[in-house]
Amino acid sequence: MKFSVSSSDLQKKLQLAGGAIASNPVLPILEDFLFTIEGKTLHIAATDLETSVVTSLEVNADGDGQVAVPARILIDTLKALPQQPITFDINEDNYGISITSAYGKYKLAGEPGGDYPNIPTPSEADEISVTAMSLLEGINKTLFATSTDELRPAMTGVFFQVDFSKLTMVATDAHKLVKYSLSDLNGEITSSFIIPKKALNLLKGALPHSDVTVSISFDKANAFFEYGDTKIACRLIDARYPDYNAVIPVDNPNVLLVNRADFQNSLKRIVIYANKTTNQVILNIADGSLTVSAQDLDFSNEATEQLSCSYDGTPLQIGFNAKFLVEMLGVLEGEEVRLEMSTATRAGILVPTEQDGGEDIMMLVMPVMLSN
Amino acid sequence: MKWKRKANRRPPTELRKIIHIDMDAFFASVEQRDNPELRGKPIAVGGSKMRGVVAAASYEARVFGVRSAMPSVTAKRLCPDLIFVKSSFDKYREVSDQIREIFYSYTDLVEPLSLDEAYLDVTETKRGPASATLVAQAIRQEIFEATQLTASAGVSFNKFLAKVASDINKPNGLKVIMPDDAPAFLAALPVEDFHGIGKVTAARMHKMGYRSGADLLTLSEVEMAQRFGKVGRHYYRIVRALDDRPVNPNRNRKSVGAERTYSEDVTALSEMKDKLDWLAEKVFDYLVERDNFGRTVTLKMKSPEFVIHTRSRSFNGEIRKLVDLKEIAHQLLTENIDDVPVVRLLGLSVSNLEREGGEGLQLLLPFEEE
Repeated sequence: MKFSVSSSDLQKKLQLAGGAIASNPVLPILEDFLFTIEGKTLHIAATDLETSVVTSLEVNADGDGQVAVPARILIDTLKALPQQPITFDINEDNYGISITSAYGKYKLAGEPGGDYPNIPTPSEADEISVTAMSLLEGINKTLFATSTDELRPAMTGVFFQVDFSKLTMVATDAHKLVKYSLSDLNGEITSSFIIPKKALNLLKGALPHSDVTVSISFDKANAFFEYGDTKIACRLIDARYPDYNAVIPVDNPNVLLVNRADFQNSLKRIVIYANKTTNQVILNIADGSLTVSAQDLDFSNEATEQLSCSYDGTPLQIGFNAKFLVEMLGVLEGEEVRLEMSTATRAGILVPTEQDGGEDIMMLVMPVMLSN
Repeated sequence: MKWKRKANRRPPTELRKIIHIDMDAFFASVEQRDNPELRGKPIAVGGSKMRGVVAAASYEARVFGVRSAMPSVTAKRLCPDLIFVKSSFDKYREVSDQIREIFYSYTDLVEPLSLDEAYLDVTETKRGPASATLVAQAIRQEIFEATQLTASAGVSFNKFLAKVASDINKPNGLKVIMPDDAPAFLAALPVEDFHGIGKVTAARMHKMGYRSGADLLTLSEVEMAQRFGKVGRHYYRIVRALDDRPVNPNRNRKSVGAERTYSEDVTALSEMKDKLDWLAEKVFDYLVERDNFGRTVTLKMKSPEFVIHTRSRSFNGEIRKLVDLKEIAHQLLTENIDDVPVVRLLGLSVSNLEREGGEGLQLLLPFEEE
């Protein structure tokens, strides 16, 4: 089996697939890419047994075949080569791989492709489709809010809720929560599943900023994202997603309207003076004025800023982790945001005052306790 | 109020009255009280076994140089007649509660440091004489009447001086440091007697020629920081009797833990796991008792060479199930077993407790527990 390919085209594909490879895999062969030549197409697969990527590109091939190629050494080689055609020649008896560039020859030991674990494929799966841009948007707006807490596995992924033409994505780490809905979905079913963080990170890096269609199919165990010549498969998180609707407070009589960028910039400055472990800032809100302040008693640092706002409610003093607010405000769009609150120990609801058509985003953030 | 901790820091012109109360050889005294045969004898509370450690020593034992945290073997060598008594923490806790009752009858501003030690802010009291000295005297008297145990007290206008003072006439004594006397007192105080200056630092200070407070007074704040690092600034302040730390009644315990030194080194992973399970149960009982759960689990391993390894893992939510605590402990153990394949001690603790002070605590969305 022999093929030649542009080094940079191959590198791009390997970079994408390499995202699935674990840093310390359970099987040595999982440090490899699986190369399959079928006619003039090279299929590249990589997996950590949880998340898999399969992608392909056109090559100049001479004969079909399959081989597992050590990923690290191949990627490093391609990185160090200027763009040029390179040739792979695989010895089908001992799986030795020799690569020829304009500069010389490189040899490495491959493994039989048949030893590579099977990449799951959809069976009796339901299917929906959405544009790459919309999905990317949804991932960007939810992924940051997921948890790393292994004790609550459901929260380490993003919850996908499919309801005909509406897709709702929810993420929370119990401190903050994001609910993002898009309604340009193509689907005829209602279902829900939890996608692990790793697969979404892969998609985030791989999805094009275009309206190419991504089809999402899923069965009880796996989900498959497919667009163009790329397929990303992942095992679903097998857990019950917590009832997020139950924690969205309903009665929030205190409503703050503030310029999003002004608020975010102010928080970025004030947090410099906050306690480094809690990042606690205090919002003092009264008619027409929002005071943002923080202090770090250990270093006698303190800072205060005042912003104009419009406020409807009783004067309120509430503490938040500034990092959360900065992150959340950064994900929102539009000029102005609305923060709806009830008391200093209840979740605040953060929304943009104007939403794009077809999109709907809502965030929750829990306060930090103030001593009074 | 907005900045409660700040608000407690009164301006220096407004003098506070602080008492530091410290029970005399607490654990040992309780044991001597309850067993007449032990009275007047050198006793040590703690394990007598080969690898035990002295938890507390009676004054009769201290004459021989026996100190708490000393290996039992060393203690026995210093004092061959030493009698070892098994500790009974439930009893100590009970006595501690009795003592705290007395504190709270005078003021709510009580900051317990341990079972047998506390700061009291008696600037304003609920009852009793206006003089802090008389209040301290009355408290010591009431403690004795209620428990037949003696306490020592230090009275001054800040925590640092009160703490230093309580050691001066120990046991069963009282020492008052009035504002006017503080400069002279501190100038004469040997550096090793400053609370907060440890043995190592004191030795370094001696080498540099600083033996007393008066010597330290010759250094500027910058010079202090240059010589002793960040903590030098603290020394600069305390030697000038500047200490505006409030008596903090909300200071809660920061972690709950248990550890055991084993009579023989443990080499088998399965045995370590069993021992961890036992520790986990202990710790968990304690958490349940206090209804205060934590988010961080720390495993402590001590090798036969006395090298201590600690590894911890934090979670977003509190660990509320014993099985989870055991599972995390096992994970930490297996991940670190290569570093410490043989242990003489295992310890397990849970920190980042829910009710830890309160201020700055990140609240959680009220998801239903599954």
